[in-house]
Amino acid sequence: MGISDVIPVPVAIDDEIEKWTIFGQPVAEVWFTTTEKIHQIIQMGPIKNIFNWGRKNSVYFLMQPMGCCGVEMFVFGAAPYDSDRFGCIPRNTPRQTDVMIISGYLTRKYLPVFKNLWEQMPEPKWCIAIGECAISGGPFYDSYNIVQNTGDYFPIDVYIPGCPPRPEQFLEGLINLQEKIKQRKDLRDY
Amino acid sequence: MTTASEVLSSIQSAFPGAVSDARVESDRRLWATIDSNKILDVCKHLTGKLNFDHYSGSAGVDWIARNEMEVVQIMASHGAHQVVAMLKVKTPRTNPSVKSLTGLYWNASWYEREIWEMLGINFEGHPELYPLLLSDPLVGVWPWRKDFKGYPDYTTGERAVAIPTPDGYTEYSFPPTPAEIEAGTVPTERPKYPSFLERETREIKSDSEMIMHLGPQHAMVPGPFLLDVLVEGERVKKAFLDIGYIHKGIEKIMENRTWLQDIVYTDRMCYVASLSNNECYCGAVEKILGLEVPLRAQYIRVILEELSRIQSHLIGTGEFLTLIAGVGFAPWQYMIMDRERIISLIESVTGARLTHTFVRFGGVRNDLPEGFAEQCKKDLPFMRSRIEEFIELFAQDPIYHARMENVGSISPETGKRMGCSGPVLRATGVAYDMRKEDPILVYPELDFKVITGTRGDSADRIDVRMREILESIHIIEQCLDKIPSGPIKTEAKIPKKVPAGEAYYRVEDPRGEMGMYVISDGGDKPYRVKVRGPFYATFQTLTPLLEGTYIADAVAIAGSMDGCPSESDR
Repeated sequence: MGISDVIPVPVAIDDEIEKWTIFGQPVAEVWFTTTEKIHQIIQMGPIKNIFNWGRKNSVYFLMQPMGCCGVEMFVFGAAPYDSDRFGCIPRNTPRQTDVMIISGYLTRKYLPVFKNLWEQMPEPKWCIAIGECAISGGPFYDSYNIVQNTGDYFPIDVYIPGCPPRPEQFLEGLINLQEKIKQRKDLRDY
Repeated sequence: MTTASEVLSSIQSAFPGAVSDARVESDRRLWATIDSNKILDVCKHLTGKLNFDHYSGSAGVDWIARNEMEVVQIMASHGAHQVVAMLKVKTPRTNPSVKSLTGLYWNASWYEREIWEMLGINFEGHPELYPLLLSDPLVGVWPWRKDFKGYPDYTTGERAVAIPTPDGYTEYSFPPTPAEIEAGTVPTERPKYPSFLERETREIKSDSEMIMHLGPQHAMVPGPFLLDVLVEGERVKKAFLDIGYIHKGIEKIMENRTWLQDIVYTDRMCYVASLSNNECYCGAVEKILGLEVPLRAQYIRVILEELSRIQSHLIGTGEFLTLIAGVGFAPWQYMIMDRERIISLIESVTGARLTHTFVRFGGVRNDLPEGFAEQCKKDLPFMRSRIEEFIELFAQDPIYHARMENVGSISPETGKRMGCSGPVLRATGVAYDMRKEDPILVYPELDFKVITGTRGDSADRIDVRMREILESIHIIEQCLDKIPSGPIKTEAKIPKKVPAGEAYYRVEDPRGEMGMYVISDGGDKPYRVKVRGPFYATFQTLTPLLEGTYIADAVAIAGSMDGCPSESDR
């Protein structure tokens, strides 16, 4: 069974399949390709859906409490609301996480550090802004030390309003994010 | 027992002419303006002769109309008497400068650094006057001055000019303001925040040493802070603490909102214990207004504050247990589950899980709902049995004992000298509790013990918190029995404009002594609100406490303090 039976192979790739022979007997089909071509294959077939399904069900979030919403994030990650049901568990280091939860006010002093944390996270990654402070500054919108729109600095996928939102809202936001991951079609990071 | 008038006459006889404009508000509050040259001597006199061994903090006030600035030193005692002396020192508004108290009181350092960076008052003799809460671009704009232009337009607050250096770092320089050029007082060099590189070159003496960052992102502390430890092998030689990562400028914002709107901000100061913050602010305003709170409202406040204390201690202990990971994550999950019961009790009254805005001037927002007492009678005995289970669990676990006992010990004298309060101080054996020292509401009518420890180590701090939950349950049960029917708000009309005056009000926060110093100039907004947070004071003790410990213990010690950086940063 050749590779073209499992997934539709682009025509261009057929040229690079070599049939190796030993003493005139065919022993193997060797397939020479490049990363770019693998991307093309993933793009065409159901493998992408398998990737997305895996990513959707293992969204680890960075435990990064910054404000009132951070306390609700504890509860969201712990037994009472049990985010683990959705494959979403807290991790302590950005290098092992998929989702950054901005859980509070972003100050000018913390912004560079926070950018560092975001950059330490491996691709593909997502970002959730929780609470009024992270969305627009909230009650501190006119403070001298608060960064108003976190959306200017981070590509935010889901906004969860509230001051602070209830853990149920966290769950809803998480489910929305999972829908988004499931329907992902772009070529990045496969 | 010493009273405020005795203290005043003692100061006046010892230093004739030093005191002007003195006011004895009650037996427990003394307000006095002290000559700026005599303040050190007066403080020495108070500490040495009159048992004022608790330096509680200081506040800076910008009196722009009178063209002067004021530094208010708050002095109290650890149980010898209940007088709080508010000593004001005046200084002109151009080149303001007062004498530093860091030589007398170790914990004055942070308070003075904060006043310096926010108001620009210089402290003569302060050893390390550099910014505490602000980042470099904001240093030198003096954001808490009344003529600060960066408020509310957040784009104009910056002062520093960022210059990227060839080797990839950013340096900041501070161009002088037009006022400074005009007055000819252009400072040649402004102290700025020591960068990591500077710290490394200054502190590292040999190849075997290195500086390690713990933070600013912490997994299990509800707020970021940076703990740099200079380590040699596994031992911590020196620790540096940088806070201000979530400094929101609440005190400045509160000056620009109406009296009622400010209650919202007190909620968000320490969101794990919002109700005691509400109480502290409302109590101070009630004191200026001279309001009497109806008895039923007082009981409701006490019930909710104690419920709030229970949930705060539970989440604080739970966080700590995940940090040491000895007894593991299971108790954390149990504590959070139990906390949900308390949270739903609070929610049934206030309608919110964390940020309640429930206490009002002269009362509370709404009455207890139907069936609240029955629900409490179901939940509280359950809670008591669970806490007893936890205490037993800790007592049995040998790993916990090995890691916690005699780690991070504070002696009673050190604890007092460093200004810590709450469970951290009570674990050392000092029975210092605001509910007994400076009683408010109906606390004098209730029967409860002040829980103390013996060794003052990490294990004791947790033990004190756990046993305090039992006391809180006892208090709530008494309140539910005693609570009378009646109005929940005062009959008196609360004016929009609060008459001119000032008040200092203290409550027992779950983390210790919380005080608020509120000044009114007769307007519809507060002139100044100064928050003396309990964790701000406790936080300072961390750096000397960590010296000589192992890195693994450093995490455990920091966790056992039950940190809330949001309240220390404000």
